[in-house]
Amino acid sequence: VVIAGPSRRVFEDKFTFDGVITERVNLREHVVWCQPPNEEDTQMLAEDYLRMGITKASKYQDRAKFEEEISKGILVIGGGTTGLSAAMGAAKAGYGVYLVEKEAELGGWATKFPKVFTGEPPYDVIQESPIRETAREVEAHDKIKVFKASRIYKISGSPGMFDAVIRPDGPWVEAVNKKQDGWRAAQLAREAKAAGKEQAASSSEEEAAAGGWGVGEQEELDFDHEMVRVGAVILAAGWRPDNPAQFEHLGYGKYPDVITNVQMEELAASGTIKRPSNGAPVSSVAFIDCADESAEHPFLFSSYVPNLVTLKQAGYVRESNPDSRAYLFYDDMRTPGQYEKYYQTMQNDPGVFLSKGKVVSVSNDSDQLTVELKNTLLGERLGVKVDLVVLSTGMIPVTKDSAVVNLKYRQGPFLPENPYGFNDSHFICFPYETQRTGIYTAGCVRQPMDFMQCRIDGAGAALKAIQCVELTAQGKAVHPRAGDESYPELFLQRCTQCKRCTDECPFGMYDEKPDGTPLPNPTRCRRCGICMGSCPERIISFRDYSVDIVGSMIKSLHVPDEYEEKPRVICFICENDAYPAVDMAGINGRQYSPFIRFIPLRCLGTINLVWIADALSKGIDGIMLIGCKYGDDYQCHFVKGSELAEYRMGKISETLQRLVLEPERIEVHQLAIDEYENIPKLVDAFLETLGEFDPNPYKGF
Amino acid sequence: MANAFIAEPDLQFTKDLIRAGATDLKKCYQCATCSVACRISPDNNPYPRKEMIWAQWGIKDRLLNDPDVWLCHQCNDCSTQCPRGAYPGDVLKAVRKLNIEQSCWPSFLGKLVGEPSLFVLAMGIPVVIVLLLTYFSNGFNFSGPTPVSYPGFIAYLPIQIIYSLALLFAVVSIRVSLKNYWNKLEAHNPVDVQSPRKGFIPSFIEALQEILPHTTFKDCEANNIRYAAHLMVFWGMIGLLVTTAIVAFNLDILHKLPPSRYGFLWVPIKILGNVSAVAFVLGLLIMLVRRLTVPDEAGNSSYFDWFFLFIICGTGFTGLLLELLRFAGSTSGTYFVYMVHLMFILSLFLYLPFSKFAHLGYRTVAITWGKSVGRNMTIPVKPNYVPPAPTEPEPAGEEATEGAA
Repeated sequence: VVIAGPSRRVFEDKFTFDGVITERVNLREHVVWCQPPNEEDTQMLAEDYLRMGITKASKYQDRAKFEEEISKGILVIGGGTTGLSAAMGAAKAGYGVYLVEKEAELGGWATKFPKVFTGEPPYDVIQESPIRETAREVEAHDKIKVFKASRIYKISGSPGMFDAVIRPDGPWVEAVNKKQDGWRAAQLAREAKAAGKEQAASSSEEEAAAGGWGVGEQEELDFDHEMVRVGAVILAAGWRPDNPAQFEHLGYGKYPDVITNVQMEELAASGTIKRPSNGAPVSSVAFIDCADESAEHPFLFSSYVPNLVTLKQAGYVRESNPDSRAYLFYDDMRTPGQYEKYYQTMQNDPGVFLSKGKVVSVSNDSDQLTVELKNTLLGERLGVKVDLVVLSTGMIPVTKDSAVVNLKYRQGPFLPENPYGFNDSHFICFPYETQRTGIYTAGCVRQPMDFMQCRIDGAGAALKAIQCVELTAQGKAVHPRAGDESYPELFLQRCTQCKRCTDECPFGMYDEKPDGTPLPNPTRCRRCGICMGSCPERIISFRDYSVDIVGSMIKSLHVPDEYEEKPRVICFICENDAYPAVDMAGINGRQYSPFIRFIPLRCLGTINLVWIADALSKGIDGIMLIGCKYGDDYQCHFVKGSELAEYRMGKISETLQRLVLEPERIEVHQLAIDEYENIPKLVDAFLETLGEFDPNPYKGF
Repeated sequence: MANAFIAEPDLQFTKDLIRAGATDLKKCYQCATCSVACRISPDNNPYPRKEMIWAQWGIKDRLLNDPDVWLCHQCNDCSTQCPRGAYPGDVLKAVRKLNIEQSCWPSFLGKLVGEPSLFVLAMGIPVVIVLLLTYFSNGFNFSGPTPVSYPGFIAYLPIQIIYSLALLFAVVSIRVSLKNYWNKLEAHNPVDVQSPRKGFIPSFIEALQEILPHTTFKDCEANNIRYAAHLMVFWGMIGLLVTTAIVAFNLDILHKLPPSRYGFLWVPIKILGNVSAVAFVLGLLIMLVRRLTVPDEAGNSSYFDWFFLFIICGTGFTGLLLELLRFAGSTSGTYFVYMVHLMFILSLFLYLPFSKFAHLGYRTVAITWGKSVGRNMTIPVKPNYVPPAPTEPEPAGEEATEGAA
């Protein structure tokens, strides 16, 4: 059934029929609302969209969805605040949970903190840490199996079919980490080399193959271990304090009364806060929550959490003695949301002294320490004499030191990371996602968080894991194409073992057979189609999305001959951001050239060069590609799709030269979902550019 | 760094400020809206922002020797515009209270006046003195001679002696207190200005030139009603002082009866007295009503404010009532109110150097000091001020002057 009406983004429920192949042609937003009525060009536009829709529907291949026997168990790595919350959430929802904790006891950092911000109304006090109670509940729960003093030896498989080997903690950890680090270093070196020397394409491919992690590796598990099969993994491995050696210039290590905020928690937990140097009670404390002037990023891993911790510890000091003084020096005081209430409580305490500032020095003259600052709120250099100096430390995700999950994936044992060591995903829209489907990060391993946020985050990750196992059990994709039943199938007889698909898949879907052919793991797949675009042999296809389907859609277009002066432009758009933007342009009645034909792609990264050749040889005058923003703050749902598209278009000049066409006939743009205003401008400007050239000489061939 | 200021916060001082009415001072986050909002704050080192952080940090030395707290005329614009609800106006007011309390001599009277729990004692002293006077004059016989003759009700000589002594005490005390304060200003504010300092007398004259017409007060355009009310009270009080002085001069030196005896209402001295009294009472009423009805605009009122208002309103209202009762022919009523009026007058004299009344002196001193060092120069900011177009430049902004109470 082809339905010609409103955008496929609306009335999805009304136009979905069980067992019926349905294709929707967007005549409303893309034609009626953005073109003048009763015009020949408007009519031609609508007809072209219908032709493409009908072609697409007729090319649909009826293939079965992927079905395997899968496990709905959930593995939680890390038994701290986040891990306990995730385990409890999943178990309460009825899912079996394996909880792995490296320490001998559950609870993590929160057991070491006397008080935490639990986030209960009226949000202006800190409470005793309830973590031990939570840990007892988790251990007593019959759906949770707890492994203490254990770590993950390796995880293989894919969502619904993960096999995790849990091994008691021991010296083996060092060896595994070392091996992984070695692999990563080699991988980085290879990438750097590949980036530096493009001409050595074939040899770098060989090297990439050599870099496949654990390809064809067989291993005897001849040690004490337990293998569990789970459907999804929650990584809540947490954080460690940043190395305090970097604070030497602030007297750390030199004066015993200069300590980190983690040590301060320990002091407070011991009952009374005493000076480490002489055991005398502490009556004044300077909290340094600000960078010294020379350092560029000394508190890179700070975020709002150290601010809150500082306020909390000022509370410890003030509670211990009504005449005590707590000086808080900061670069920024970040207390978002309800934390503001606690900040206000502390600010209103007459014994709490706040000032922005940069530390100049910490020195000790007489019995006390003198902290000197500049750029203070007092408008001058300021010094205070204190008994104790507490330095905020950054929170480093433990994944910076070790892979923790130890994946047996061809793309390596690690979760892909951003430059700061946090796992990299689409940070705007998908906070829990990693680039390894079915593995969700939560808590401080994902970003610095406080106790309250960790608990919320753990529960959120549990929901993600549950969605994953349920959708996988139904043979459907997970976020962001949740519910998609199609998956890539490979016609391996024609595979040339070029490994582009295994390299380019942002989600590590393909493992590798010893002969170099890709080994798909369909439940890892997010159905973006980037592999389809990468394959030079065009052997990868989905049942409703393939090189052939899109190519046929292009060929179905009616291209008027050159004497009619009706140019034709094809615009490939990402259906996640650019497509809704085009819809919005229609909703807002923006008019643009009727000569453009939008073809939505699952991701711009699925663009296959053959489509460009098809279009140009059909007589299409110009081709636009509109994808998501990329770079450090990328907005691509599939991480690097639009970047790959740009990269591939960089290599199109060869095709154009063969066809004797101007390179300006192809343009690539980045567009955010809210930039619909730009669409008419982009389209009309492109048509203006094309107006400078003759019509495509291939018209009518 | 040798030049770093070593802060040693005085926790108790901050608590005292909070108790003196600056309840929200810790809420300030130094956005400086207050200093921008203030129309009379100098461009260089403007208040009240710096006073806010000093108050939060309990930097007592600076606050108690800061002339700027007196340059503020409490229009309350800063408090209404404060995004954090820290009420900078209230903070400066509390600093002024502690300023008086800490600079006054003898200092125990400062504590007596400033401490709410000692109200009964503070008011009890003048009440008991006047009651004793009344008792020994007439044994609380309010029928007295008719027509009304005050010396016939309470013996004149003791009043002369006691009130003269009280006034003398007030004058000496405020003189000592203000000298203290001037010395503190000199000692704690190293003057760093290009031009040489002006002498005391020219500075004082300059200060008077703006205090008498309330020119700076008028610049606080956020609160024009208060300017008018304060002007009425100020000049009403001066008028009443002049009237009293003339009458006392006539009585005590020339031994003549008050001139009203001879010309009822229309003698000049009577006109001066009545016009002054009406202005005084009307101004007070306006301030009182505004404090009670629109505290947001008029500012939050502390005990220190109420104590002063109580005495000055008591004086004004009983004075006017006294005249009205006398004309109405109520002899005993007149005598009773006369007695109460005497109590208020005595407390006014006694507590002049210690109550908020002392702002008369402190503000004058601060403004004079400011004039002498060139501190209080500001460019007046007009509401809805539009910078002149480059083609037709307006004359340079006139120099605003500072006024005081």
